[in-house]
Amino acid sequence: MASEEAKEYVLPPEVLEETMKASEELWKPVRKIKFRIYKYNPRKDYAPYWEEHELEVSRGMTVLDALLIIKGEADHSLGLRYSCRMGLCGSCAMMINGKQMLACQTRVLEAAGSGDVVELRPLDNFPVERDLAADFTSFFEKHRAVKPWIIRNDDVELNNPTGPYKQTVDEYARYYQFTDCIKCGACLSACPTAATDYEYLGPQALAQAYRYIVDTRDDGLDVRIPVVDTEHGCWRCHFAASCSDVCPRGVDPAQGIQLLKKLLIKRKFGFKPHKPAEALPAKVKAEKKE
Amino acid sequence: MEAESEFKEYYAKNMRGISGWFKARVYTIERWLYAAHRITGILIVLFVLVHFYSTGWHPGLWWDALLGIIVTFHTANGIRLILAELGFAVGKPLLIKKPSQRPVSIEGVQRYVVVFALVLFVVLAAIWAYYALVVQPMMG
Ligand code: SF4
Ligand code: SF4
Repeated sequence: MASEEAKEYVLPPEVLEETMKASEELWKPVRKIKFRIYKYNPRKDYAPYWEEHELEVSRGMTVLDALLIIKGEADHSLGLRYSCRMGLCGSCAMMINGKQMLACQTRVLEAAGSGDVVELRPLDNFPVERDLAADFTSFFEKHRAVKPWIIRNDDVELNNPTGPYKQTVDEYARYYQFTDCIKCGACLSACPTAATDYEYLGPQALAQAYRYIVDTRDDGLDVRIPVVDTEHGCWRCHFAASCSDVCPRGVDPAQGIQLLKKLLIKRKFGFKPHKPAEALPAKVKAEKKE
Repeated sequence: MEAESEFKEYYAKNMRGISGWFKARVYTIERWLYAAHRITGILIVLFVLVHFYSTGWHPGLWWDALLGIIVTFHTANGIRLILAELGFAVGKPLLIKKPSQRPVSIEGVQRYVVVFALVLFVVLAAIWAYYALVVQPMMG
């Protein structure tokens, strides 16, 4: 019985063959691409230099795949950051032919376009750690500066929770999009304001500040105002929108920053940002179930 | 020695500096507008300094028309920026995203606002140029 059920899930031989063929097609080397890779160790080298490697690439090969092959076969000293290989950890953002992209999500042929050179540099506006790896210390400091967690004033409820907090779909939709940020740094790197202002909080931190401020469960507006409502905070942004253009997760930080400005202006005129969420008491929950 | 450490710091910091304002080729049109807004803003400040010194001074004919282009661009784009930075015309945060979601703040209403700003710029610049090149010389 069990084997008969299992049989239903086996692909018909012609489909299987087609799938195998498609997969072979995807991984068959199709073109020779030249990789120009930025090499620099600030502790040792006097100045950066470029290294070139040629590689036969297939249609399915990502830039990260290619880099790992180069690291394994040609240059063991190549420094780069990566972890999950599927666009979820945000470690492998780099300049690929001059634009901020995730190496694991960008196919080599897509990056090369009609040319046959792929130029790889560490992220702009980030200190270089080594080769393609950027130093994220100040980036994470900026993220931490906006207090990216839910701040509550009702200590009694927090310590003895009576139930979950109420939130409507509309209230959830206000911040959901910004929760997708993977802290890859592409947005800060693309921002023209960050190119000359080292202290600028940056699109990532400001979008996260907005994400927590509009969350109805959060009471931290007044704590975050001194951080975001400053010269190097949201008023430094002039809507070049490059941050949203390069964001690999569709977070749209530029939108978050403009909405944050709107919220701050509204607050100056005395409007409250939102009604705080109430706790949904356990008793009500039980009644609802009945 | 001093120069060497500065040189090293320059590469280690990897900041683009002012050239970063003008690196617009790979990004969207907003980036070009950002760069142009910067340049026109700086030029206007330079002109205003001269203007303070002598309010009657004008650069004359074609230069006047050029001044018009600078000022009207800054005005038209400025209106767009005021709208955007007050939170209008940047769209609403999404609840459902497509797999390769393009930013709503760029691809949404903002597209029309950009076109509006550019049209406004051309119209204002044309009026200014007409005044500077035709009306002004006639009045002597
Ligand atoms: S907002 Fe987007 S580009 Fe910026 S750090 Fe988060 S995921 Fe990366
Ligand atoms: S919208 Fe603001 S934060 Fe984003 S790139 Fe432009 S200036 Fe930077």
